Amino acid sequence: MKKTIIIGGGAAGMQTALRLAERGIEPLIVEKEADLGGKLRGWHALFPSFTPAEEVLAELRRRIEEKKIAVRTHTEVQSITPRSVTLADGTTLPCDAVVLASGFTLFDAAIKEEYGYGLYDNVFTSVDIERMLNEKRVTRADGSAPRRIALLHCVGSRDEKVCQQHCSRVCCITGVKQAMELKQLFPEADIFNFYMDIRMFGPGYEEMYREAQQKCNVHFVRGRISEAAPTIDGRVQIKAEDTLTGRPLRMSVDMLILLVGMRANDDNATLNSDLSRAPSGFMAPRDHFLHHVESNVEGIFYAGTVTSPKNIGETLDEAAAAADAVAEYLKN
Amino acid sequence: MTFYAPFCLPFILGALSMFAIVAGKWAVWLYRLPRADKMAILRGLPSRATLDAAGETICESLLHRRIFRVDPLLGYMHMSLAFGWFLLIAVGWIETVAYLGFRYVPLQGHVFFKYFATGLAHKPFFDFVMDLLLLFVLSGVALAWVKRLRSKAMGMRRTTKHVLGDRIALSALWLIFPARLVAESATCALYGGGGFLTGTLGGWMHDHLGVMASINLEAAAWWVYSSCLGLFFVAMPFSRYMHIFTEIPLIFLRRYRLRSGEKKKSYDRFQVEACSRCGICIDPCQLQNVLEIDNVQSVYFLRDRRYKMLRPEVADNCLMCGRCAAKCPVGIDLNTLRLNSRDTLRNLPDKRRYAYLKEIDRSQGAGRVGYFAGCMTLLTPRILTAMEQIFTAAREEVWWADRDGGVCCGRPLKLSGETDAARKMMRYNTDLFRKHNIATLVTSCPICLKVFREDYALEGIEVLHHSEYILRLMQSGRLRTDRGDTSYTYHDPCELGRGSGSYEQPRAVIEAIGRLLEPADTRENALCCGSSVANTAISDRQQVALARNVAAELEATGAETIVTACPLCKKAIARGAAKEVHDLAEIVAARIRR
Repeated sequence: MKKTIIIGGGAAGMQTALRLAERGIEPLIVEKEADLGGKLRGWHALFPSFTPAEEVLAELRRRIEEKKIAVRTHTEVQSITPRSVTLADGTTLPCDAVVLASGFTLFDAAIKEEYGYGLYDNVFTSVDIERMLNEKRVTRADGSAPRRIALLHCVGSRDEKVCQQHCSRVCCITGVKQAMELKQLFPEADIFNFYMDIRMFGPGYEEMYREAQQKCNVHFVRGRISEAAPTIDGRVQIKAEDTLTGRPLRMSVDMLILLVGMRANDDNATLNSDLSRAPSGFMAPRDHFLHHVESNVEGIFYAGTVTSPKNIGETLDEAAAAADAVAEYLKN
Repeated sequence: MTFYAPFCLPFILGALSMFAIVAGKWAVWLYRLPRADKMAILRGLPSRATLDAAGETICESLLHRRIFRVDPLLGYMHMSLAFGWFLLIAVGWIETVAYLGFRYVPLQGHVFFKYFATGLAHKPFFDFVMDLLLLFVLSGVALAWVKRLRSKAMGMRRTTKHVLGDRIALSALWLIFPARLVAESATCALYGGGGFLTGTLGGWMHDHLGVMASINLEAAAWWVYSSCLGLFFVAMPFSRYMHIFTEIPLIFLRRYRLRSGEKKKSYDRFQVEACSRCGICIDPCQLQNVLEIDNVQSVYFLRDRRYKMLRPEVADNCLMCGRCAAKCPVGIDLNTLRLNSRDTLRNLPDKRRYAYLKEIDRSQGAGRVGYFAGCMTLLTPRILTAMEQIFTAAREEVWWADRDGGVCCGRPLKLSGETDAARKMMRYNTDLFRKHNIATLVTSCPICLKVFREDYALEGIEVLHHSEYILRLMQSGRLRTDRGDTSYTYHDPCELGRGSGSYEQPRAVIEAIGRLLEPADTRENALCCGSSVANTAISDRQQVALARNVAAELEATGAETIVTACPLCKKAIARGAAKEVHDLAEIVAARIRR
């Protein structure tokens, strides 16, 4: 039986393994964390349907167990070739093909120091909010309920100043989704989204965006926040420009939520020096159309956000396509 | 004895045109000086400054002492050409006097003395000395050839790309002395005499060429020699060699305290034309050695400005880090000249644009110490928070000028050439500082610091960078810190180091709290972070490339933490560094003894 090693046990890795097993290929998932699930473990509900992330995750895990797919957790990878994977401890695992499904790294909001993340109370990231929603305890630092909330789009996306020129795609809809969830929790609160463009690319996204404005009364202001400062009463004062009216704007909010982008993993460059990368640092597939799940090195395949920012649906689709490509490759 | 032969004509015409043009240029420049500058010259003339200037002229225009510091061989090359030629002229004059006593001899009589003196009894001493001096100059010409072919051997990785006019003048200059050698030797071949160089070569010609060939060679060689001189003299006032004479008045005027300013003035002409295009400014330029931009360096900027072909792309593409100015052998005030070029290109005062300045006062608190964070510090609030902790620990009553937003110090506008708009900001802030009656003004931003010190009229208010202020607090015991075993490396911000001369205070502060490791280029030679507000031409990507280069040098020290004392440098270096980058205030605040 041919053996394929899948690096990364998130949504992409699990889906690839399931599909490979169906096609009679023996998959092995190598995961650095203690559990399977990747970033999905940290999310609360998935747009546009508000499906609990836990629901998708539990089903994927159940199938993995059902198919008795081999998984090595707590295992980090040092380097890969088409026929082997070398782990951080030096052991080399032989195989017939490799699927790289190692995902992305979240942008560290503290780099945008002007927003005060990690410095002021009441500045959060979108990831913090997902966690707080999961914990069913969304509050300000002092435990009180927020009355005015600002969400800032494009933190670590489309920002040359932090060397992230690409669009992370899903933060726009995340901002809309979280605004709606927060509005449900705090119906009296004023919620503002500060954006430079709203990119509603997925099915049902545009409808959600409309609903947020029309039904939930979420405000959208076109303009990035330039800086944030703490006020004496523990709120956050933000400065921005409303570029539609052309006026500078200054506002105190109870919570500032930074919608952090996706960036390429730092170790993308070191896994195999022959693999080509896009200027953004994400792995570059052989082409964007007919070989979009294959690398430029024969026998190494890609699935999910290791090549570019994607939502969960796209990731699952691509994982299936990657498994098919591996099966095709191993036939020869 | 007549001192004329037809071959003298090119020399005579060339020399006359040169003296007329140089004198004309100087007269116009001096006449156009503002009255205050003229008064400064009159006051300076009978003072010690004149003596100092004369001394500096000998050291720099003749001996080229500053170039010796760049590279000894390069210094020797420049010295042998300048000082050697000067001695040839001076000793040549003494030689004429020795032969003929004090009597009038026309200029060509001195220059072509060997040609005219064939009938006189030889003085072997002068033959020897003049040959020695000629050899001295020829050695410089030979080195100049070596420098063209292998500049690295002379301590320069890159040399100037010259324009056509300079190339003509340069070729003429390089031919002058070999031509002189051949001409004098040919005369010696026919009439005997000459020292170890011309005499020996003349003897060889006498033995191997025959009389007719020597006669022809002599006639041709003196023509070539005179033509080279003539060509060089005609080209001189229009080429880089204008520096030979212009550096001298520049030295005197500088000693009389004339300075360039944010607006162009006549004194600038002395500076611009004193540039010899030696190209020493090219190597220190990070735009050159990291980004391979090779047409914007000071030498090219001054050239373009002089020939009135300066484009904004060149004027704007400069970090104004001052690394080139620190190395300029003529001491030209390169940043100020670039600044007033930008003023000419861009200063478009708009009366309405800053109308809102009147009403704002968002300052907070009260105290004799004022703190001006500056825009960049507001974008790096960790520094602001650290300063707050330091003020609290030292029990300082502080007036916060701009914590809740304020008006820019004006320096970024000034650097971009919008000098009149910058003045509006300066006036606003000056009034604000006066209104709140502060005695000390502390800022965390060296960009603000420089403009407060140089362009604001803040008599009675002491302006301090936070590194200076923190050191004072530590020394007076008001701020007590614990020393740890963390190792730090320090990046000198351009505006604080080369710009304001503060090298010691930040180092003293770091050494009080940890171990300091110096990077390869430090203090006066420190690199620029690459994100300077003075450069509006390079892209973010290019800024990051510069930052990576600086960060690599800082990380190579092996220090655990990179420290700087400028919010802009901090942000810039963090973009290229793997290690943590902190402001001085942050590392101090973390070590305050409670």
